[in-house]
Amino acid sequence: MTAFVPRQTLRAVNFICNAPQARAVTLVGDFNAWRPAAHPMKQMADKAWLLTVELKHGHHRYAFLVDGQLTLDPRAQGITRNDKGERVSLVPVS
Amino acid sequence: MKKTMAGPPATQAAAAKGRSGAPQQGKIHPVVIYPFRQPTDYSDLEALYQLIARLDSDQDRYARPITVMDRKTYFAMERDKAFVDFKKNIVTRHSDILDAWCVDTCQMWYSGLGLAFEQGSPEHVYWLIPGDFNYGTAVGQEVLGRLHDLPEIILELEQDLCIGEIAADHNNSKQLIDTYGTFALLYNWFPAEAQEIRQFTERPRSEFFAVRHSFLGEVLTRRWYAYEQTVVMLLQAVFGKKRISRFFVGNISDLPEGREPLSSAIQQVERTERVLKALWRERNQSNAGWIDQYRLLETQSEQVRRSALTVLRNLLAA
Repeated sequence: MTAFVPRQTLRAVNFICNAPQARAVTLVGDFNAWRPAAHPMKQMADKAWLLTVELKHGHHRYAFLVDGQLTLDPRAQGITRNDKGERVSLVPVS
Repeated sequence: MKKTMAGPPATQAAAAKGRSGAPQQGKIHPVVIYPFRQPTDYSDLEALYQLIARLDSDQDRYARPITVMDRKTYFAMERDKAFVDFKKNIVTRHSDILDAWCVDTCQMWYSGLGLAFEQGSPEHVYWLIPGDFNYGTAVGQEVLGRLHDLPEIILELEQDLCIGEIAADHNNSKQLIDTYGTFALLYNWFPAEAQEIRQFTERPRSEFFAVRHSFLGEVLTRRWYAYEQTVVMLLQAVFGKKRISRFFVGNISDLPEGREPLSSAIQQVERTERVLKALWRERNQSNAGWIDQYRLLETQSEQVRRSALTVLRNLLAA
């Protein structure tokens, strides 16, 4: 008999960055080891940048790289610091 | 050649090792501060203690909740059947009551967090839950659903202090006190630390927070000021380069019993000034010439306080 193992459920989270003049925006965070190229965002018709990412349950630190500049999400539910001591945003996934 | 699947970003995100996936070993100690003045309507407290009941039943994750009740509250209500029944059937059932004679809410915090600390261990987290908010409303229910994030952030992201922030409009008395009183005074006495604090929160007097065992131990054993303890904790956190987070817990307003009239707002600004003065002296009185600098700051502080009181009088006076 196989032991019951709870599923690590994923939940889709929308990230929106309002930077209409930016040439490139990427999403960095604990979930991609802060790699700048891991999650490029897509500019939408309203000029805002959007990316939907599936994340595990818990609290995730993240930020936007707007033309290479680390930028907080003004819509974020929280603020903390990353391992480099930079202020970054916080998203809960339940 | 080994082939690597290059899935969509979403898949990569889920596969990446993140802190939030790490197992949590720390236990969470909820500490409820029972309202000093018993509300006539129990719906908010009933909603709160539904949460406390859930925490109490999850013994793997949560320590037995503690409710701190001022003896003056008890003696004022001891002949009230509704209160006695609520205390016996709800509060006592889902938490251990700490009866204490307290001069104010901050002393209730000190007593409750101190007791929880004695029962805890180094990997544990302490979660303060104020009892005098409108948890029974729709918005309050939403807030109750978010409060658990505060201790979880401490555990998952290895933080020392997580402040819960509530939304308030610009003319709300709490907002006015913090903008024209708390921060203005902080900028006078501790300008560098004030800037650091404001990078995280606009609510340096928030009653919603969670704190790690080691940091709670530090602040409990150092001089613990009689009032405005969140401000002192935030300052101690900045002094000690602790890891601070802020989390938005929602829109919520004080219950009518707890709303601040002008006299209360003035008292809070004056208390903040007294605490900051005492803390500044404690940190600087070993320096040569500290008294001259202190007098200068004190003069400036008086100007700041008078300005704050003018604003508060203009906006809060009935």
